[in-house]
Amino acid sequence: MTPTPTAPDGLGTRAGKAFAAYIAGDRERLSELVDLVTPVLWNAARSQGAAAPMCEDAIQTAFLQLVDRAESIKEPAAVLGWLVVVVKREVWRLSRGSRREIGVDEVPEAPTQQLDPESQSILSERQRVLWQHISTLTPRCQELLRVIAFADRPDYAAIAESLGMPVGSIGPTRGRCLQKLRTTLGSDPGWAV
Amino acid sequence: MTSHTEAIDARDIANLGQLRDLFAHADPVPSDLAERMKFAITVHALHAEVAELMDSALLTTRGTDAKVEPTPTDSVTFTAASVSLMVSASPSEQADTDARVRVDGWVTSPGAQVEAVTIEGSVSQISDANGRFVMDDLPHGPVHFVITDPDDDDVRPVITPTIQI
Repeated sequence: MTPTPTAPDGLGTRAGKAFAAYIAGDRERLSELVDLVTPVLWNAARSQGAAAPMCEDAIQTAFLQLVDRAESIKEPAAVLGWLVVVVKREVWRLSRGSRREIGVDEVPEAPTQQLDPESQSILSERQRVLWQHISTLTPRCQELLRVIAFADRPDYAAIAESLGMPVGSIGPTRGRCLQKLRTTLGSDPGWAV
Repeated sequence: MTSHTEAIDARDIANLGQLRDLFAHADPVPSDLAERMKFAITVHALHAEVAELMDSALLTTRGTDAKVEPTPTDSVTFTAASVSLMVSASPSEQADTDARVRVDGWVTSPGAQVEAVTIEGSVSQISDANGRFVMDDLPHGPVHFVITDPDDDDVRPVITPTIQI
């Protein structure tokens, strides 16, 4: 083995390789895919404001659909984005049962990110400051930043697109959401280390 | 001044890292979520019947401290409509240390294929005329078993919940 001089693969690329190997017959690689993408999917689901059990159901449905349709997925490399789309759609489909006002064809927009009081109480002082700054961003920026925070830089653009953000909203350039976070943190003398 | 059209830099990555820590701390991924997803996928992909854990003794609750026990011989029974499986785990005789596990199993159907799926992959054995089988070189950690009939593809496989050995 010689070390490769290129940058390490992003999460999406590693997930894509595991999935391609799975399709090619190496069935055990699916377990690697699940380990890689579950944190991103959990945050994509939870950022829609649904309760934990509903989020778990949505993630399970996405994985089962992936297995059922594995042979027909044209771009194994794009598996992370595919899963994010299905998870988000599935959370909204499940929550429609209780919130009927949401139209079928509507592109759902994530609500303002919430933390329950118990979770807020376990934050460090610095995390509490960060949380206050995050709360000043638009709901779309909150959702985007929360989800990409669990992926790698090469994945940002694809994840943004999967969440329904316009192409070019992030990656390789900073984009408005990341810029706003930087500006609001930069303006806080209490944040600077 | 920085602009949103500039490339993402180290400070942006650091900000996202802090954001990641915040959510990982305040709303963590349930610790067993990935394992439960893998189990659901396997059951679904095999169109399998899930066996029920009947008798857990110590095996399911014991964690990694299993290594320090000198002669653990704990048994677990799983039951499904078509078949039952009993397994007991003990230190492997193959190895000098307790790093490996021997599983002695008994399944109610002779000639059944029993597959043990561990963190290292899977190992298969065919049960003998009395339904017995031995797997002598398994790693410690999570394992589940899949029981299939090698002579009849139409029989639904049976899958057990994951236990710790």
